[in-house]
Amino acid sequence: MSKQINVALIGNPNTGKTSVFNALTGLNQKVGNYPGITVEKKEGVCRLPRGIKAHIIDLPGTYSLNASSLDENVVIELLLNKNDKDFPDIAVVVTDVENLKRNLLLFTQIKDLEIPTLLVINMADRMRYKGISLDIDYLEAHLKTKIALISTRKNEGIDGLRELITNYKEVSTEPCLKTTDIDPAYFENLQKAFPNQLLYKLWLVITQDVNFGKTDRKEIDAVTSFKTKSKADLKRLQQKETIKRYQFINNVLKKGQTIDLSQAKDLRIKLDRILTHKVWGYVIFIAILLLIFQAIYDWSEVPMDFIDGVFASLSEWTKNVLPSGAFTDLIAEGIIPGLGGIVIFIPQIAFLFLFIAVLEESGYMSRVVFLMDKIMRRFGLSGKSVVPLISGTACAIPAVMATRNIESWKERLITILVTPFTTCSARLPVYLIIISLVIPKGKFLWLSYQALTLMLLYFLGFATAVLSAYILSKRLKIKSRSFFVVEMPNYKLPMIKNVAITVVEKTKSFVYGAGKIILAISIILWFLASYGPGDNFNNAEVIIKTEYASENLSEKDLQHKIASHKLEHSFIGIAGRLIEPSIRPLGYDWKIGIAIISSFAAREVFVGTLATIYSVGSDDEDTIKNRMAAEINPVRGGPLFTFASGISLLLFYAFAMQCMSTLAIVKKETNSWKWPVLQLAIMSSFAYLVALVAFQFLK
Amino acid sequence: MNDIIQNILVFTAIALAMLFLIKKFILPKSKTKKACGNDNDCACH
Repeated sequence: MSKQINVALIGNPNTGKTSVFNALTGLNQKVGNYPGITVEKKEGVCRLPRGIKAHIIDLPGTYSLNASSLDENVVIELLLNKNDKDFPDIAVVVTDVENLKRNLLLFTQIKDLEIPTLLVINMADRMRYKGISLDIDYLEAHLKTKIALISTRKNEGIDGLRELITNYKEVSTEPCLKTTDIDPAYFENLQKAFPNQLLYKLWLVITQDVNFGKTDRKEIDAVTSFKTKSKADLKRLQQKETIKRYQFINNVLKKGQTIDLSQAKDLRIKLDRILTHKVWGYVIFIAILLLIFQAIYDWSEVPMDFIDGVFASLSEWTKNVLPSGAFTDLIAEGIIPGLGGIVIFIPQIAFLFLFIAVLEESGYMSRVVFLMDKIMRRFGLSGKSVVPLISGTACAIPAVMATRNIESWKERLITILVTPFTTCSARLPVYLIIISLVIPKGKFLWLSYQALTLMLLYFLGFATAVLSAYILSKRLKIKSRSFFVVEMPNYKLPMIKNVAITVVEKTKSFVYGAGKIILAISIILWFLASYGPGDNFNNAEVIIKTEYASENLSEKDLQHKIASHKLEHSFIGIAGRLIEPSIRPLGYDWKIGIAIISSFAAREVFVGTLATIYSVGSDDEDTIKNRMAAEINPVRGGPLFTFASGISLLLFYAFAMQCMSTLAIVKKETNSWKWPVLQLAIMSSFAYLVALVAFQFLK
Repeated sequence: MNDIIQNILVFTAIALAMLFLIKKFILPKSKTKKACGNDNDCACH
């Protein structure tokens, strides 16, 4: 029988920890949340020699065991709680060969918890460019561990690491430092009060306020024979501990590591000078964005047309093959068009994530954060707010959670409140379909109008977020202090495997997450559009045939009139007509109104809803886009989706708070209903107002 | 017969869809334990 061991991957941010995780697990991984909190939990399985199976957990990046955020707390809570089912049989600390000194601080802390700890020195391929050489035997002897020198980029050393993990029982648990050396009197006293506890573990409990097992800080305080020190004294002891650790690390590295700068061939400084330049930095950033949006349009066109056609044919085929009846209609007119409305956007979403992954992997994204910090400060945001704002382009939910590393509550709250303005991937399907309907296909220089419009919408979202932050920073009366620290990783060629995994995972989670909701909503919408109360719905055929008896309508036209009449008097038609007076000034009809209401659950439902509504009663094999383009404005005649109504709709979606999940996460992060309710009211009113002005001005 | 079966399938699908949406948006699993919005004391522990 195969044995399973728990392996915890731990390390500073930007050490290539996730690359090691990917190298060990391949695609045998899943992403979830830690129980009770919304910090991402990545787990995977790796088959080791001798039939051992390793359950690998990729823990959030942390600089030390002195936690300052929820993410970092996760690491400490796991390492301190032996009863946790994920408690590691072995900890694997991943370090970057170029930042070994700083990365070893965390390693020594984990070693002192007496957990078998392996040291992985990653990015070994960079050593010759940096003039670095290591004496591995010396380092192993003095750090009391086994070392795997690897390069995930070149896929070197991974087998050696697997072998070391397999032999986890041979890894020493001897600590690097004696905890009592930090302050002998204090720690000896502490040990006397808790003779059966590991001293360093007690120290972490006293300083961290973390949850683990049955021992917590209150329990320590409750022991009358021992009193914890004041907060200021504890801070001083922590500083002393850090100094002791660096003294130890310096001594080890003095002989274990040699850096010959004359051998270094570094491009980084030259590149940084250009990419973070006060003028060229922004010019390059904008040029990269232009390139991305143009590519999203150009490269996606063919696969999107293909998917659109496939779903239209599938719907038609279902009707022809299955026995006629209500369920067949549900599949052909409800489920397939609804799902088609989301699947069609896979190419564009995949390309967007591809570019974001490449920018992150290459190290360029950190330069963008640094560059934007100068602007952010002027608007009352932290430099760290850039990370949520940029990750908000994928989804506002993880972006709101990413604000947890902002220390100042005021800056964090402002970031939470303005992040939903950034263009998330759920807005993308709405933007793409409306842009393709109302923006002409011409080009300005080499950029298409459609790509430019999409880019302007991204800028608009970002600018609105920043301006709202400025207003909030002036209005909110909360006092707090802030600082900004960002790590500048080295430039690297993105690893294809990492980029591919990111693209697959993000696209999959978008499609599955949204797909289930869209499927459910499509079924209900189809029902509401296919059934209705009263004679007007039930006798639609008789009414229409009587009404048009004198006109010589073809059978196809007659069927179309009957379908339209039924839709108008269906449940959804009645509801749509009720809200129509309030949305008509914005240039929308009741069908768009229904789509807006149903997309309150999630924005991407908008396209699926329209696809479902327009498919009900239709026998044509036609694409979603063509059906929307053919829709006639019932009041003014002519196409419903004109330049004016299209722009109005784009602006409405740019500003409206159309996402229940984001509201829920804001409530959770702020611990109050006040902020999500305010956010919903202000964003939605603003969206309505802007859409109204835009339509009235452009019509 | 065919119509009856088709109608049963339709209403089952609708019931399942409604159950899913209610579970997803109206009765989501409560996870609020530690996430809190305060610098100093969020009373999480």
